[in-house]
Amino acid sequence: MAENKKVLIIGGGMSGLTAAIEAAEAGNNAVIVEKTPFLGGRVAQLNKYFPKLCPPNCGLEINFKRMKNNADVTFYTLAEVEKISGEEGNYDVTIKVKPRYVNDKCVGCNACSEACPVEMPNEFNFGLDKTKAAYIAHNQAFPFTYVIDDRHCKGASCAKCVDACKYDAIKLDMKPETVNLNVGAIVLATGWDLYDTSRLDILGAGKIQNVVTNMQMERIASPNGPTAGKILRPSDGKEVKNIAFVQCAGSRDENHLPYCSFICCMASLKQATYLREQYPDSKAQIFYIDIRTPGRYEQFYWKVKDDPNVTLTKGKVAKITEDPSTKDVTVEAEDIIAGKKIKAKFDMVVLAAGMVPSTKNSKISDDISYTPDGFVVPSSLKKGIYAVGTLKSPVDVAKSVQDATGVAIKSIQSARRSK
Amino acid sequence: MTEQIIKPDLNFINDVISSGGESLKKCFQCATCSVVCNVTPDDKPFPRKEMLHAQWGLKDKLLSNPDIWLCHQCSDCTAYCPRGAKPGEVLGAIRKLSLQHYSSPKFLAKMAGDIKYFLLLFAAPVLIFLTYLGITGKLDFANVPKDPVKGIVFSKLIPTTFFIDPVFIAAAAFAVIVFARGIIRYWNDMSRNAGTKGGNIIGAAISAITEILAHRRFNKCEVTKGRSISHILVFYSFVGLAITTTWALIYLYGPIAMKFLGMEPFKWLLGESPYPLTDPMKILGNASAAALALGILLVIFNRIKNSAKAGIGSYYDWLFIGIVFFVMATGILSEVFRLMDIAGLAYPTYIAHLSFVLFLFAYAPFSKMAHMVYRATAMIFAKQAGRE
Repeated sequence: MAENKKVLIIGGGMSGLTAAIEAAEAGNNAVIVEKTPFLGGRVAQLNKYFPKLCPPNCGLEINFKRMKNNADVTFYTLAEVEKISGEEGNYDVTIKVKPRYVNDKCVGCNACSEACPVEMPNEFNFGLDKTKAAYIAHNQAFPFTYVIDDRHCKGASCAKCVDACKYDAIKLDMKPETVNLNVGAIVLATGWDLYDTSRLDILGAGKIQNVVTNMQMERIASPNGPTAGKILRPSDGKEVKNIAFVQCAGSRDENHLPYCSFICCMASLKQATYLREQYPDSKAQIFYIDIRTPGRYEQFYWKVKDDPNVTLTKGKVAKITEDPSTKDVTVEAEDIIAGKKIKAKFDMVVLAAGMVPSTKNSKISDDISYTPDGFVVPSSLKKGIYAVGTLKSPVDVAKSVQDATGVAIKSIQSARRSK
Repeated sequence: MTEQIIKPDLNFINDVISSGGESLKKCFQCATCSVVCNVTPDDKPFPRKEMLHAQWGLKDKLLSNPDIWLCHQCSDCTAYCPRGAKPGEVLGAIRKLSLQHYSSPKFLAKMAGDIKYFLLLFAAPVLIFLTYLGITGKLDFANVPKDPVKGIVFSKLIPTTFFIDPVFIAAAAFAVIVFARGIIRYWNDMSRNAGTKGGNIIGAAISAITEILAHRRFNKCEVTKGRSISHILVFYSFVGLAITTTWALIYLYGPIAMKFLGMEPFKWLLGESPYPLTDPMKILGNASAAALALGILLVIFNRIKNSAKAGIGSYYDWLFIGIVFFVMATGILSEVFRLMDIAGLAYPTYIAHLSFVLFLFAYAPFSKMAHMVYRATAMIFAKQAGRE
């Protein structure tokens, strides 16, 4: 029998972790390559996720525990694949690993961050607040090792963090490294990005402070988010008592994303419950073209619909304006059932923005075919290379995990066909 | 809600599709269009409901609906439509069908909207003038005498008083009668559908006309902003040319009338054309022609420039634009060739000019020219019914 080679997983989000751990638990060596400094991907940024509406750490924490107990899973963070060559069972992969500037001695004490004089937009919170250039994304981050962002860090001329670190964990002279691997199979799990809502000029185009995206709303509602889970609006920190959700903000629109992003209706229904549970006197209004709740999710829709403080209005929002003095937000839509234009004022508005496959803007390699929207065409993949989850079509976490579990077995088969 | 019996007219759906509304079926009723539209009323806004009615073939609801004319085809709806359903183009197609519905005889309405019949329609005015030339033996333009002082004089080719004016008066009378019948039917249908008692029509008319003169609705367009300027140019050049024509009639018939009354004609009544370029009437006429040239070229330029966002338009649109363009071009060239004293070019160009102008006049109630009458009527109706 041929040698049973490694499986390479590109992307350390929920799908990538699942594929890696499932393959490793079946006896294969799995290597995860993650672009950002931490594993967990988009799920780590959610407040709660379907189907059980548990916080992300119930799912991620279990996976991290499985990883720690299994020596067959290894990972690189701040790493990107530069080159893939070869064939099924025998792929040579070049990986570029950027320096973290913090080594394993880090205990996560936060002293470096306190000492760091440089502030930068907090990407993990979608720019809702700021973080230091020496930081950790959130209190449950994995690995729990700080990182220094060299796009903002002033380097050796500052080095205040080096002085502050009692554990000799910060090395500002770390250099990028190149890692070469030979693997039997490759799993593409680079996930998705949120559609850039600043392209939606009639919806405020990212210029109105109290218009946030659905992912920002997840961060606002998250206990480890910028407001520690209190739903407060960005402009003045006022409690949000009256919220609007704008469905299909970019999705199902040939000028933006010509497909349904699958998750946004459920996300808005879920986020309406965040608000309703936090403030009993709050009101939520969801403006939609069609509410799409695939399969059993329909029951969740009924539950939210039964709440008298939640209004569902058929009619797409096509104008959003700001009251410059109060920063309240006015949305305009046609209530199709009543046949009337409505202009309603809200404390905050959430744009239910759609999913863009990460391969829309950063192609993995040239010999893969993509749809015009950037999704990977699975049939165009070479033997031994598999794509999972949102790279192929917009899907939710549960479907991504199912897909990744299935792909784990496919990749094991490819790894065993090694030459 | 009261029960309604829906009577879909499947042929009507096909008519909308073949009249420039081929994108109709793409609409999925999201209502983006009604919201981005700056000229719709807030109550029962358009064009979302028109898209649904058209998809369902509800002809009666659409043809006698004043809203289709409150629309100025800004195309903001078309630009922001997430499905490429082009509501602006669909409403344009519905307006065409409404015009055809209210104008009679029906065969002329049908011919004016179909490219197949263009040559046949155009042949009629051309033949009228060629026949006259044939009978009088002037077909080769050789026997047309020149005036020793004025040079080329078009009335020596075809006499204004004995031929041109009777033909045009007949054409204008025909158009006025067709228009009158059409708008009376249209008004009655609108009243019946709206179920409202008539409001203050005089007040509504004054308000609608001032709105039209100021192009206030046009100015609310966003995607096709420049259209207001080109429309103002074309609109006021037509006003200028109407004044010029009346003025010329006074010059021509004033002395005749005064002589008939036994009076000595005033000196400033110049009689037969052509008139000197320094005459105020001529200055107004030439200025109007220049404005028309600039306006119609801007119309064409804007249409092409905006076509990606607003759609390229239908045959019906382009026929009207084309005829106005050729009226302008042949008119200006006739005058230029006359002044340059090139008879071989001046006479045929003048015949072409007469033909295009007669086309515009005689078919006005069936072509897009009719928009001015129907839009004004719909705006007056909407205003008196309190629909702003």
